[in-house]
Amino acid sequence: MTSPVVARPAAEPTVVKGGPSLSARVTSFMPVIALVVLLAALTIADPGFFTQRSLTAASMTAAPLIVMAVGATLVVLCGGIDLSIAAMASLSTVFLALWLPSLGALSTPAVIAAAAAFGAVQGVLHVVLRIPSFIVTLGGMSVFSAIALVVSDAGTVPVTDNSTLNWLTLYLGGIVPMSVVVALLVVTGIWVIMRFTPIQSWITATGYSESAARLAGSPVDYVKIGAFCVSGACAGLAAVMLVSRNFSGNPSMADNLLLPAVAAIVVGGTAITGGHGSVWRSVAGALVVTLLRVGLPIVGVPSAWEQILYGAIIVAAVALTLDRSKVLIIK
Amino acid sequence: MSIEVESQAAASVPARVPALEVKGLVKHYPGVKALDGVDLVVHQNEVLGLAGENGAGKSTLLKALVGLVKPDAGEIYVRGEKVKLRSVDDAAVQGIGMVFQEQSLVPNLTAAENIVLGSEGAGVKAGLYRWSEMRRLAQEQFDKIGSHIDPLARTDTLSFADRQMVEIAKVLRIEQRSQHPPVIILDEPTSVLESKEIETLFTQVRRLREFASVVFVSHRLDEVLDVCDRVAVLRSGQSVGEVQTEGAQPADLHKMMIGSTGSDDHYHEGLAQPSEEERPRLTVRGLSAKTFRDVNLDVHAGEIVAVVGVHGSGREDVCRALFGAEPTTAGEVTLDGKKLDLSGTRAACAAGVGYVPAERKIEGMVGPMSVADNMTLAKQKSRCNGPLVVPTKQATLVDRWIERLSIRTPNRTTAIQRLSGGNQQKVVLARWLVGNDIRLLLLDHPTRGLDIGARSEVYRLMRELANNGVATVLLADSLEEAIGMADRIIVMSDGKVASEMPCRTGAKPTPLDLVKEMV
Repeated sequence: MTSPVVARPAAEPTVVKGGPSLSARVTSFMPVIALVVLLAALTIADPGFFTQRSLTAASMTAAPLIVMAVGATLVVLCGGIDLSIAAMASLSTVFLALWLPSLGALSTPAVIAAAAAFGAVQGVLHVVLRIPSFIVTLGGMSVFSAIALVVSDAGTVPVTDNSTLNWLTLYLGGIVPMSVVVALLVVTGIWVIMRFTPIQSWITATGYSESAARLAGSPVDYVKIGAFCVSGACAGLAAVMLVSRNFSGNPSMADNLLLPAVAAIVVGGTAITGGHGSVWRSVAGALVVTLLRVGLPIVGVPSAWEQILYGAIIVAAVALTLDRSKVLIIK
Repeated sequence: MSIEVESQAAASVPARVPALEVKGLVKHYPGVKALDGVDLVVHQNEVLGLAGENGAGKSTLLKALVGLVKPDAGEIYVRGEKVKLRSVDDAAVQGIGMVFQEQSLVPNLTAAENIVLGSEGAGVKAGLYRWSEMRRLAQEQFDKIGSHIDPLARTDTLSFADRQMVEIAKVLRIEQRSQHPPVIILDEPTSVLESKEIETLFTQVRRLREFASVVFVSHRLDEVLDVCDRVAVLRSGQSVGEVQTEGAQPADLHKMMIGSTGSDDHYHEGLAQPSEEERPRLTVRGLSAKTFRDVNLDVHAGEIVAVVGVHGSGREDVCRALFGAEPTTAGEVTLDGKKLDLSGTRAACAAGVGYVPAERKIEGMVGPMSVADNMTLAKQKSRCNGPLVVPTKQATLVDRWIERLSIRTPNRTTAIQRLSGGNQQKVVLARWLVGNDIRLLLLDHPTRGLDIGARSEVYRLMRELANNGVATVLLADSLEEAIGMADRIIVMSDGKVASEMPCRTGAKPTPLDLVKEMV
């Protein structure tokens, strides 16, 4: 019992070698794998599915969803969530339908700018008043829906002169819908800006650890407001696509896109806790969600079941991808 | 000596079976071995001290003992039986309870409610509290420790010391559950107590020894030697030995904690070059905020100024305020004659101020991000041409600093969380150096959780920076560190600057000189 000093040398500092594990790598490619599996399954169920015509139609359905999901991905990457995107898009369809007769071709940029401004306001409220983004955008969702109902007199606003939006319904090379081209251009644009400027670092740092980002002098507040602003603008652009297809604006036209958009983000593998993810993941996620959507009737599942599916895949995708070591308390 | 105490008092269980025994406990965290084969024996009716520097593995060991941390290898025996502890509840069933460093009471409940929380038993009938029974249950616990706190007082109306008594009373409830003498773990119980309260606590601990075993953890070695029967020492996640407290000196313990490498010029005093600057680089006049007031401070270029003070002295907040991370209410701060904008961290960064936070893993670094991106996070300009990031520019810059600071990393794209603590800290420090514009460095516990070797490297880097003209404000991890590194020491107490003393090499004050001013 009396052994005062038993000195051992201090341990050498260790560097843990090796990258992510195999399962982590597979999980990382999950959205692409899911996409391929779905395509194969649908082709087996209905050989007529894998034709240019139906794929073109499917991609056209996917375009607004891609744009919305990609915009909201920026907010999620910052560690927040934007629940107002669908209501924002619905409101934007109403604005667009109302402004088209007077503003003409200018109404498209005007609607996108308005949606961006609404998004920025939410961002400012979130940052300045320090309210969780979940609450701010939940409130925003309700407010935007109400504004849409009021300005549209709670009804569909028909678009009589569709000429300035007509280009969106054309096909590039006769195959690729213009709306898909626009969606991919937007995604590429956002990706390029993030990739080749410090913005990527700032967003990632903010999402993983806001306090660390702030203490390294990152413009955390501006980054977050910017993310909400882009998210709003994307919802506005999605609205333009919807109006060009439906020839009308409606205060609830895009409302059923909220769950698919969130599903697209989480299925793509962007961490709901922030930091990890990318806009391309959300593109893959949006395609998976769209395939499920158009595929359900093919395999004979009634479309009323769709909502169950969205709910289930959101929960399942987060369950698979959530890094629980980062989240101490699950609220 | 402890053996005799034990054999007399341990009547219920055969003597010599330790109340708690740990064998070869190992716990890895990414990049660091927190526990590396720890052995520990806690005898019945003994107060065992646990000593070790920050990062030695004390907290991890304690957490493993109460089921908060799952060890990777090793065994835990309770009264001779091997157990697996998966939760605090498991530990409680085995009779192991812990009084946490940060108090875990619910402030808006009464003391009695807090004590029975989670093990209400007869205190609840038909889903409702029976207050008379609750009061009795709580009083029963208070009687054990001879405390006179009103069980029905709301917790947030009690003093800190009283709340600690409630914590202890609460932990003692586990005695009822395990039907054995409990093992009570006290983690840094004295860190925020005043000297009179500490005496009360020690009386309490000695009383606990009558019917329980106690594991006592404290930074203050004199306390450990005062209250414990035996002290086990941890270093770098390993048990390095133990000391019988009778006749032992704090210096002996300290030597064991630090190890042999700690002796010769640990703080690189040979490198110290006194600053010759006349005009101060940083001047702080009348700086006030919620937690401190009227702080005046000068730091010269090339000078290291340590700010010392006890918990609650406000020194951390001063540091953060100077970086614009904490709002201030009054005061003027200038850097090289120009007014320093304290409105936000961005302005401070732009002015050439750098801050290394105490909580490295949470605030200092972005764990999943690469070494390179972490290093250039604050000085984005260093890797950009105009608004665009130039990957080759970043690569060259980062590789140069990896080499210069000998940062051990597989490569620059490795996630920083995979490095060891010391290398992480070097990356965090390099963050402020890559811009080549650092003028003032604010270091909040820069060596916290680092092993000896890494510490020494950080000290060396601090010296080199100072010799290059960087002004440094240091919040040291220990008084020894402050004395070893600083050219001048500012003592803060109760949110005010209490005194200032020179600390040049060859004329260093002793820790005792500082402690006198701190309290």
